[in-house]
Amino acid sequence: MDTMDRVSEQPSPRHVIVAPGQTSVTVTEKISSLVFGKTPLWWFGAFSVSFLLLQVFLISVATLFVKGIGLWGINIPVGWGWDIINFVWWIGIGHAGTLISAILLLFRQEWRNSINRFAEAMTLFAVACAGQYPLLHLGRPQIFYWLMPYPNSSGYWPQFRSPLVWDVFAVSTYALTSLLFWYVGLIPDLGTLRDRSKNKFIAFLFGGLALGWRGSSRHWANYESAYLLLAGISTPLVLSVHTIVSFDFSIGIVPGWHTTVFPPYFVAGAVFAGFAMVMILAIPTRALFKLEAYITMRHFDNMAKVTLVTGLIVVYGYFVEVFMAWYSANDFEWFMVTNRFFGPYKYQYWLLLLCNAVIPQLLWLKRIRTNLPMLFLISLVISVGMWLERFVIIVISLSRDYMPSAWDIYHGTIWDVGTFVGTIGLFLTLMFLFLRVLPAIPMSEIKMILPEAKLKNEEAH
Amino acid sequence: MSGGGHHHREILPLLPTYDPPAELDGLGKKGLIVGFFALIATLVGGLMANDHFTQFYRSYLIGFLFVFALSAGCWSISLVHHLSRGKWGVMIRRSLEAAAANLPLVAVMFVPIVFGIHSLYEWSHTEVVAGDPILSRKAAYLNANMFILRSAFYFVSFSLLAMWIRRLSLKQDQTGDPALAPKMQKIAAGSLLFYILAMTFAAVDWVMSLTPHWFSTIYGLYFVIGQGIAGMAFTILMCKFLSKLEPLAKRFSTENFHDYGKLLFAWTLVWTYFSLSQFLIIWSGNLPEELSWFYGRIKGGWKPVSLMLVFLHFVLPFLLLLSRSRKQNITRLARVAALMLFMRLVDLIWLTAPAFSPDVLKIHWMDITAPIGLFGIWLFFYVRNLRSRSILPLHEPYLREALGHV
Repeated sequence: MDTMDRVSEQPSPRHVIVAPGQTSVTVTEKISSLVFGKTPLWWFGAFSVSFLLLQVFLISVATLFVKGIGLWGINIPVGWGWDIINFVWWIGIGHAGTLISAILLLFRQEWRNSINRFAEAMTLFAVACAGQYPLLHLGRPQIFYWLMPYPNSSGYWPQFRSPLVWDVFAVSTYALTSLLFWYVGLIPDLGTLRDRSKNKFIAFLFGGLALGWRGSSRHWANYESAYLLLAGISTPLVLSVHTIVSFDFSIGIVPGWHTTVFPPYFVAGAVFAGFAMVMILAIPTRALFKLEAYITMRHFDNMAKVTLVTGLIVVYGYFVEVFMAWYSANDFEWFMVTNRFFGPYKYQYWLLLLCNAVIPQLLWLKRIRTNLPMLFLISLVISVGMWLERFVIIVISLSRDYMPSAWDIYHGTIWDVGTFVGTIGLFLTLMFLFLRVLPAIPMSEIKMILPEAKLKNEEAH
Repeated sequence: MSGGGHHHREILPLLPTYDPPAELDGLGKKGLIVGFFALIATLVGGLMANDHFTQFYRSYLIGFLFVFALSAGCWSISLVHHLSRGKWGVMIRRSLEAAAANLPLVAVMFVPIVFGIHSLYEWSHTEVVAGDPILSRKAAYLNANMFILRSAFYFVSFSLLAMWIRRLSLKQDQTGDPALAPKMQKIAAGSLLFYILAMTFAAVDWVMSLTPHWFSTIYGLYFVIGQGIAGMAFTILMCKFLSKLEPLAKRFSTENFHDYGKLLFAWTLVWTYFSLSQFLIIWSGNLPEELSWFYGRIKGGWKPVSLMLVFLHFVLPFLLLLSRSRKQNITRLARVAALMLFMRLVDLIWLTAPAFSPDVLKIHWMDITAPIGLFGIWLFFYVRNLRSRSILPLHEPYLREALGHV
């Protein structure tokens, strides 16, 4: 086949995902140099800040253990405050990683190959942050294992009809599957790193983690089927985890919580926030590590499109909620809506609409989708907006539900802020460690989408 | 790259034109004849029932919803195809467009519903509304004039949008202008957004308001996905028909069928997801105003139909469509598609009929003949639309790729 002809016939550069001029050799050189090269100066600066924030987390948690959750702003009726807001926020962010690694793999979207490692790491660390909150919220975190059903002498079992128990299973399954998926994907690269490392100890370490990977065809065949299988298992998790999180609210009868559109709307919101976070992380990392050849403008364009679509689903959710509250002719539903628009937390609600419904509409323009500073800013706005969304859902509904005599106003305290900022520290610390010790971009998968691999593949057919 | 599957076909030379097979006319004629007689039977049934056509309108509503689902579903699939610029849609684009071009016909088919409004919708009786505080509060939305106005708006806007993109697609056949593909992509984005939003209201108007006190926020999306399934199932059945005839014989690849099977599978799962979400949230909330809608369906006479939906709209197709070889074989895939199309009808009966007989299972024979009648007529016009132009988009940039030429 005439390759030149094929290229000129191609209506759009659908096969071109990485920049021209990349070969297997340059990919290995470049990406393994991120691991073996000298630590760049900016890394120390960034890591120090993250590590400092991690200390804020430790201080907040230590104080919490000593004094109890009265430190936080929660009261009766607002028993869920920043802690559950942050839980939902973090767990939502993780979803983009799973979507990129699993669903886009099944959809044969090859552009995912540059960013999946990175996004999966983000998932793992976000789940780690999310997991802190329900445990801390227990008040007696030392007996967290009571959440799990196990035969015990007291004959106590968790309430299986409660979505809070489903959460325990959903989140722990999610964490485990994400870890496995990430690790299996790493194996060929760990083998490469073992072979390229000059230090014996490091070679031993990577060698152990590579599980004896030699890159034989049999290894590749097993690897491919294991990877596809894990993608199949992960795909329902993208839906199920946040669906169950949405059940935490919608199963109850609190106005603003009890609405049937919650499951898909929560899932879309999760992916929306998650893609924003991927862009927040990818834009600076790409510049600092000089990865322009691997994470191209096409990636950002596509990610911005996914963000736009999921954002529109979220806006649809807001809209349907308001319409149905009116259509239901139910006083409590309608009060919930007016209370959001004009009640004590009206600024949070209007700001939420600005962040999630108005500003992301800029992403309709290709000009904006390919403008990295703008994308970075919009992604930050979306992250704030999605945090506010959980605030609006949790706090506004709880602070004024059916019985006016039980109403109360809620505000987070400095310790709520400390715990939240602290988990950002935990997240960033893990992220920077990952960027330093493991290949942030999958070498093996990039090689599969290089033009040279394509041509070989087609010749073989 | 094939995601692990093995696709094979012999690659036939590209042709200058792809004229639709003349055998289609036979299918259209059969549709017309069967449809005509089924409609006559329904009409006679309506006359004989001596109930001021009440049962006729109730059955007719199911038929209308069924053909509307086919047109709207195929339209939305073509929009997803244009939006994603997916290779998968190239082979079926003309069929999707022909079905979408029936939207004005479906609008005409809606007219009897306007006459039957008092037989169908409790809220259309002013004296009922006056005696019901909840309906009085909704009267600004649920009243006959607004209902007709809104329905007219849905039909006009849907038809115009569908015709607009179809006209551009035809223009692409003639001029081959490369600017048309990105233009259609943009129109598809806006149309899809509009369709989902408008369909949410249409679902409330036409079906949810049959039980006028009841409400559920996921209801509109439930209809959107149901229509997607109906459209895809119909398209797969047409693929089976067309893949036996020139010029498309041997031009479909197993990869095409695999993709259609995957879409049908995915949307069946999404339908299940929406259904389960709606049911679980309402069941566990246990509020009388919401649960009343489900009560007769899960406890009363409609229980067998609910179970039928669980097993034949989810469990069976789920198990069948897991198999890769079934998705790649059009004959076997078409059997699942036929099941899905039938189950879409069952779902529509389940959504509407219990509104008139909440506790007792009552499916009238006209609930079956009305959809068959309207579908027959619909099929005749679909064939006419499909026959009026090339069966493949001639200057679609990915046509070569879709036909296996790289």
